[in-house]
Amino acid sequence: MGGDDPIVLEGAAKHFGAQTALHPTDLVITRGQAALLAGTNGAGKSTLLRLVAGLCRPSQGGVRIGGRDLQRTPEARAAIGLLSHQTLLYDELTARENLHFFARLYGLDNILERIDAALVEVGLSQRQDHRVGVFSRGMKQRLALARATLHRPSVLLLDEPFTGLDTGASTALHRLLREFRTTGGTYLLVTHRLDEAEGLVDRLLVLERGRLQLDESLQDDLDADALRARCAPYLDVAP
Amino acid sequence: MSFLGRALAILRKDLQAEWRTKERLSPMVFFVLLVLLVFNFSFELGGAALHEIGPGVLWSAYVFASLLGLGRSFADERENDALDALLLAPGDRGAVYLGKMLGNLIFLLAIELLSLPFFILFFNLSPGFFLVPLLGIFLLGSACLASVGTLFAAMSNNMRLRELLLPLLLLPMILPALISCIEATALILANGRFEKLLPHLQMLGVYAVVFTVLSLMLFEYAIEE
Amino acid sequence: MRSTSFSYLIFATMLIALGAIFLWVPTEQEMGIIQRIFYFHVPSAICAFIAFFLVFVGSVQYLRTREDKWDRLALCAAELGVVFGLIVLISGPLWAKPVWGVYWRWEPRLTSMLITFTIYAAYLMVRDYGAHSTQAPRLGAVFGILAFVNVPLVYYSVDLWAADQQLHPPRNVELAPAMLYTKWICYAAFFLLLLRLLAQRMELARIETAVARLRQKLSDEV
Repeated sequence: MGGDDPIVLEGAAKHFGAQTALHPTDLVITRGQAALLAGTNGAGKSTLLRLVAGLCRPSQGGVRIGGRDLQRTPEARAAIGLLSHQTLLYDELTARENLHFFARLYGLDNILERIDAALVEVGLSQRQDHRVGVFSRGMKQRLALARATLHRPSVLLLDEPFTGLDTGASTALHRLLREFRTTGGTYLLVTHRLDEAEGLVDRLLVLERGRLQLDESLQDDLDADALRARCAPYLDVAP
Repeated sequence: MSFLGRALAILRKDLQAEWRTKERLSPMVFFVLLVLLVFNFSFELGGAALHEIGPGVLWSAYVFASLLGLGRSFADERENDALDALLLAPGDRGAVYLGKMLGNLIFLLAIELLSLPFFILFFNLSPGFFLVPLLGIFLLGSACLASVGTLFAAMSNNMRLRELLLPLLLLPMILPALISCIEATALILANGRFEKLLPHLQMLGVYAVVFTVLSLMLFEYAIEE
Repeated sequence: MRSTSFSYLIFATMLIALGAIFLWVPTEQEMGIIQRIFYFHVPSAICAFIAFFLVFVGSVQYLRTREDKWDRLALCAAELGVVFGLIVLISGPLWAKPVWGVYWRWEPRLTSMLITFTIYAAYLMVRDYGAHSTQAPRLGAVFGILAFVNVPLVYYSVDLWAADQQLHPPRNVELAPAMLYTKWICYAAFFLLLLRLLAQRMELARIETAVARLRQKLSDEV
């Protein structure tokens, strides 16, 4: 069981002192799946995402990425890319320098070619030598996307990625995620804005009060209203 | 993706960022000057007092400055919300510690070198051969400060009253190293014999090695959530 | 270890120790009556160091197993270590005044104890100021390990510094048999006291955690 599925949680839980943010949870996300993680604020979505990203150590149980336990094999994190509402970029450095730093951090080869290609893909080649501090929100998020995919992860974790994006950037992100899936990538998307999730997900996970209330595969691409209707019974407050 | 490679990548990034803004270095050097100024009104700095209180004054100024500077170890990450970026990277997180520690070492050494002229000026020293062994003490002392200081900076990242707490944690812990730095500096300024200097050098060396290794091993626990 | 019979044992041992100190043991030639403080001062120092070692053990084991009981051991041992350290730091000057004429002198043993005391006081602060209650044990454990490793370095470096100021009574002085027995009785009495206080404090900590968990559970179910 588990094998080398991209994301596996085995009884993973997270307690902060006496408070439980996530109750012991079992979850398997298979290759090529795109899951939407929905839930109200404080439901534990960020905690679960951080556990999968290896940013947070589980109080109980384990998390495996591609068959490798995150706590025991720190190299397993190489398969993960994270795009969150925090850009994880350094304002004092230029776009190029930021990507260069991350490339070195991940021990990538062909760094210069990769950076050039990534900048072209997110449409920031013209601005590559400008300090990130002067970028607009949309541009920062685009660069963050380049950062998150630079090392060709097989698993993408997205935490409210559409926040602050203009239509152009939003469309670009949609396109990228669809392409990512066709190449066999797996992703876990957390977002409040179900209209953004339209056409992007084939699995629905609803978290409430730290417990997985709903876990079902979606046969067709549902639109936002349908998604909302599916989630509603499991949420304390309708989204 | 080697351990050292990642550490050096972080070091390089920090040096790049610091070079661009110089926001840590200049205030720290200025701070050392101000501390020396304050000390001047407490004791007479020139002349006979030199050998008795000089080394103490010098190292006190450096330690206070480094308390401020070390607290900024992860400030770049905090202010850019970028700490997760370092933690996401694959491999042993000790590499993050090593990169930051080397950065702090260079930073502390730079402060010491840049403010040495003030010391020479106020204490009416004539620059001479003593500068060479003194640099050695600076290097060892900075290594000791950076070793524990970087780890504590990581720890206090997660704590309330961060700026207040770091000095309270760091000062008691670095006292053994500080004592040896002061004594060694005094011996050098008084042209003391090497045999008397040796135990202090050993102390500093042992301290730096022990605490760097320990911090490397414990860093994961200090920074994790 | 919290049983009543153990309490009686401690009470009896302490009584014997006090009897030995004040009634039995002969007065020391040089210093006079004040020398008897030695029988409180030294065992307290030893207990403090045993406590600090227990902080180290608790810290290491907590990081390895993440079990609460090790964290409790570290915290309670640190508190007791600080208390016994305080006894040392108070009894020292009380002895020093009649003998040396001053309350405090920067001589190596007392200075080292003062530094060690501040290190473990800092430990208690790390525990207090951790951002939330899973941070505090973990950060405390890291600090607890560093603190104990630092203790020998502190003693060595202060000794180096004060090489020309050896004022403290030498460590391995020849004691008359009666004094030797008294010393060992006091070691035993203080050690038993340490164990008892530790057990009591740890039980209290365990109850505190259990109550906090219950409270949380109740508010969750509301």
